[in-house]
Amino acid sequence: MEAMIRTLVDPGTYKRLAYLLTALVVGPVWFSALVTLWSLCAGLIVTPFVIPAVIVLAYMTRGFGALEAAIARDLLDVAADTPAAAPSRPGFWRWLRGQFGPSFWRAQAYLLIRWFVGFPIAVVVITALGVSLGSLTAPLWVPFVHGGAQLGIWRPHTFLQSLVGVPLGLFLLPLSVLIAQALALPFGPAASSLLRADVDAVPAAVSEGIARRRPALSPGQALEVHAAADAVLIGLPVVIWALTSQGYFWPIWVALPLATALAIHAWFVVLADEPSIVDHFRGSRMLAASSGIGAALAAFLIMVWAITGHGYFWPMWAMLGIAIVLGIEFVFVLLLGPDRAELTERIETLETTRAGAVDAQETELRRIERDLHDGAQARLVALGMSLGMAEQKLAEDPERAGELLAEARLGAEHALRELRDLARGIHPPVLGDRGLGAALDSLASTSPLRVAVSVHVVPRPAPAVESAAYFVAAEALANATKHARAREVDIKIDRVADLLELEVRDNGRGGANPNGSGLQGLRRRVEALDGTLSVISPRGGPTTIRAQLPCG
Amino acid sequence: MRVVIAEDLVLLRDGLTRLLRDNEIEVAAAVSDGEALVREVIAQKPDLAIVDIRLPPSFQDEGLRAALEARRRAPGVAVLVVSQYVEHTYAQELLADGRGGVGYLLKDRIMHVADFLEAVRRVAGGGTALDPDVVAQLFSRRREDGPLERLTPREREVLSLMAEGRSNAGIAEALVLTVGAVEKHVQSILSKLDLPQSTGDHRRVLAVLAYLQEAG
Repeated sequence: MEAMIRTLVDPGTYKRLAYLLTALVVGPVWFSALVTLWSLCAGLIVTPFVIPAVIVLAYMTRGFGALEAAIARDLLDVAADTPAAAPSRPGFWRWLRGQFGPSFWRAQAYLLIRWFVGFPIAVVVITALGVSLGSLTAPLWVPFVHGGAQLGIWRPHTFLQSLVGVPLGLFLLPLSVLIAQALALPFGPAASSLLRADVDAVPAAVSEGIARRRPALSPGQALEVHAAADAVLIGLPVVIWALTSQGYFWPIWVALPLATALAIHAWFVVLADEPSIVDHFRGSRMLAASSGIGAALAAFLIMVWAITGHGYFWPMWAMLGIAIVLGIEFVFVLLLGPDRAELTERIETLETTRAGAVDAQETELRRIERDLHDGAQARLVALGMSLGMAEQKLAEDPERAGELLAEARLGAEHALRELRDLARGIHPPVLGDRGLGAALDSLASTSPLRVAVSVHVVPRPAPAVESAAYFVAAEALANATKHARAREVDIKIDRVADLLELEVRDNGRGGANPNGSGLQGLRRRVEALDGTLSVISPRGGPTTIRAQLPCG
Repeated sequence: MRVVIAEDLVLLRDGLTRLLRDNEIEVAAAVSDGEALVREVIAQKPDLAIVDIRLPPSFQDEGLRAALEARRRAPGVAVLVVSQYVEHTYAQELLADGRGGVGYLLKDRIMHVADFLEAVRRVAGGGTALDPDVVAQLFSRRREDGPLERLTPREREVLSLMAEGRSNAGIAEALVLTVGAVEKHVQSILSKLDLPQSTGDHRRVLAVLAYLQEAG
């Protein structure tokens, strides 16, 4: 009871109510705008005009998402964010692809939820609130309404009759407020998880690295989910149609586009499951995919033609367009070979990882230059000065000269120590001489933590792979010492066939930042070798860093 | 005393030769790769070979392997391996045959001329000279609750110097103590760690190192 009262006086409760009611306005707007634009895109798909259409779609989605994020922040007190695209590297197509990153699809999902879930809830809520308020205030207005007023399930006609409404309203109003605000609660996590900006390319690679290991859904399961969702989305209008006027079977206009999209999805799944099908398309995955899409679109248009009363067979023009596009693609495949799509993709990956490797190298070289300049070089200058002064004092003050010489020797020792540390940071000699096991043993022996090293790497991989694995372990160990306040660290490296698998696990407090310069540098180094790096570091720990490096 | 030097950098080879000659040590040969070292050691039968760990052609641990090979083919020749960096793995490999007359030092130590010459003489005489950094690496592996914690700070200092291969007199000099006081510390350490009371310096080093290795 006390908790209920506390909820009733909490301003947050009324903010949540307000949030639910906003769906009355934004729900229909989002839905109609998105349906219009998606239909436009689908209709224009075989023409170049589809490009401006998808750009408008992307911008509109992100704009709506930004507004929704502001609403969610203010009314639900959650950390929702404008669903901005990740900064892309130069190039129109890269930019366009970036616009359709994960944040776009998450925002789409959120906008649809606002219509399909938020709008019905809002209708129920506003009805409940209206009935409650109406009952409560019934004595004030019922007597003036000719013929009485319908209040929910009863119909008072006179002032006395309407007095019954007051206690009823007093009971219903808080009840509907309490229930309605609770309905708003699940929207908070939905907003904060769906309305987010795309992180930049690097953390995307991390989540990708994890996703590749443990995909949430297999392609087959994803197709089943899609089919089930379509069944609901088509079933609902059919039920509504059956319950209402019946007559013209309008739900076909919902069913047809959804079925077309499902058919295309199914075709992609079939292609992934049965690679042999690709052989029928001269080995080109892209040609196979486009043929499926083209066939689905043609079927869609023919169905539309059939439903709209036959007549002039206009879909032939669109089908001609599709045939021309497929024909051009076929010629390209004939001329350029089947693997062009895969090659293009591979080239893009290589471009990205090479750029990353070059960046990482550049940063590293700059660090080395700075260390040399501030460290050993400065010490050698000081040493030279001590020697010069000693030379000067040699005749008149041999004792002072002796002191200066001792100073110079100390300086030389410091310079050597610094150079040694620097060299070890670039490439520890023992790694080249004795391999990962000895190098990590040596690293562990200089660590203040208790480090367990287990290395089974036979035969030895290429030096670049060894070196990358070593530095991943070294950086992880340094992080465990500096940031995670760990006491124990486990380093495990195994070679499984042509894959080097590394895992560093500590017992610290977690919360490592995968965008920190150290981890980013490592990721670039690993990716340059076609490897993957994942950092799992929940707040409170523990941190596990895994790397996989091909070493065939 | 006669030594053979193997060092590929001319600057360092000439510097070391001059330093030794200035201190009445005869440099029988100064070569620049491992193969030449083995050849010269067999031909010259020197008291000591001073070897850089990194030598051509591979510039990895060529010098270490050449030094071990020379010792195998000319028993009785002591070797002192010098390097820009030290790793306890290499120290273990050098000490593996259990015979005395081995040293492993950072090149930095050459700058402390007196100490360096003392180490050269000690190794040539069948003793041991292990770099303080190697010993420190071994010490850092100790467990928090291990028996080393039962030693007093002074005893740990003495133990480090024992591990480096110094004699009681050498330890006394380094810590500015009397030889008698050092002997008392050594007795105490050996009994606290359950180590045998061996007489030879090198055997004592091996026992201490084996102990530190175990404790790690």
